[in-house]
Amino acid sequence: MSKENKIERERHVLIVDDDRDDLAMAGEAFRALSEDRWEVHTAADAAEALAVLRAGKTALLVLAVNTPVLDVGLLLGSFGQSNAPFKKVVVAHPATDEIRAASLAAGADLFFEKPVSPEGLKSVFDRLCELLDWKNAQGFQGVLRSVGLPDLVQMECLGGNSSVLELFHEQPLGRIYIDRGQIVHAVCGEISGERAFQKLFTITGGTFELREFEVPSEHTINRTWEFLLSEALRHREQLAQRAKSGENFSADAKTVSGEPSGQTAEMLICSGAGEVHYNWQCPAVADRVTLLQAVAQRAEKLIPDLQLGRLDRVEIQLADGRAILQPRADRLVFVRVAAKP
Amino acid sequence: MKADFKTWFAALPAVPGMLACGVRQPNGKCLGYGDEKIYPAEKIEKLLKQFAELHEPLVAAELSPRWTTWAFEYGHLRFVARPDRRLLLLLVSPDTEAVRELDRIAEEFLAGTSK
Repeated sequence: MSKENKIERERHVLIVDDDRDDLAMAGEAFRALSEDRWEVHTAADAAEALAVLRAGKTALLVLAVNTPVLDVGLLLGSFGQSNAPFKKVVVAHPATDEIRAASLAAGADLFFEKPVSPEGLKSVFDRLCELLDWKNAQGFQGVLRSVGLPDLVQMECLGGNSSVLELFHEQPLGRIYIDRGQIVHAVCGEISGERAFQKLFTITGGTFELREFEVPSEHTINRTWEFLLSEALRHREQLAQRAKSGENFSADAKTVSGEPSGQTAEMLICSGAGEVHYNWQCPAVADRVTLLQAVAQRAEKLIPDLQLGRLDRVEIQLADGRAILQPRADRLVFVRVAAKP
Repeated sequence: MKADFKTWFAALPAVPGMLACGVRQPNGKCLGYGDEKIYPAEKIEKLLKQFAELHEPLVAAELSPRWTTWAFEYGHLRFVARPDRRLLLLLVSPDTEAVRELDRIAEEFLAGTSK
């Protein structure tokens, strides 16, 4: 049997890295770890990579990003469209939110922090094996967008893996620690344990990534992953049912805000720097801007301490109505509503 | 601190979804309840101080709040200041009973149930 026949098509792996030392190290490591079951190709630039891809045998492309200024979307796009017949993984150092978002937007199936140690390479190799082995109806393409968190948690646990799943939604939201296939710790803002695990499952629209396992500061979960997953999904379903049945999904916000009970008395919209974009019946613009900026500064101090996520608004209950402030980086909004007479 | 206030305040952590609560007396002494690891007394005291500092600019802007609510993604902070300079801070999970109880608790605090 020829070597070509021995190597199944899906085991042709292409690593692209403009750091030649890292490229050589990763190539050697993956060949050794795969016990030569992988045909590992290496390319130090796009031209070399395209030459390999044109042969049509590549099953997996691993693109290393070593600089934050690299246009990952453009580069991934040059290697093939999102429906290209190979899977794409981006490893980056530094692994910034911007690169992760650009990678996923450009069709990457997985995103990792670039491994810098033999243990890290082994961990990434294991994930790549799972990616290559993953057989579901839609393939692993777009796993981060379409398969979702429950599938990935299940996959990690079934595989007996050790990893940290980190979730993001504009900013880090929380982590799930999996140690040899068991969920041992979860944290979401200030919450930890099972509540944090459940909370993370109710988040929609975020992204997540697998990181190398690190020992958590504490173990807050002792139940089996099957139970935890089942409970988390049940909890999520309950919330969805509440929303479906007309109960406002953010009923809490409604309660805090109260029902609309008056009419707008003044409104001010400014840029983040305080430049007025819109003013309606605001009696003291400068005072309002000063107040909004004070609130924004206070929020900046509070947010890291509280770890409660993004500040949506500040509501002030007045004797004769309410005021709502939205201190955002790009805009400052002040609305006062007078109570009905 | 009078006994009925202590009793009233001590019942707050039992409200489902209450993550932490704290009160600052006019003499500056603070009392807080919360998970000792996540919300230790020092943290609650610091929060009370930070909100107390923000209360003044609100008054200066001719907004005399009965209370303020900071709505974060994963929790709501209610801050209530009484004319006698006693301050109350409540931190609640957004999808719980506690958030629906905020107004009642704030009204009780202002009405002086806690005298």
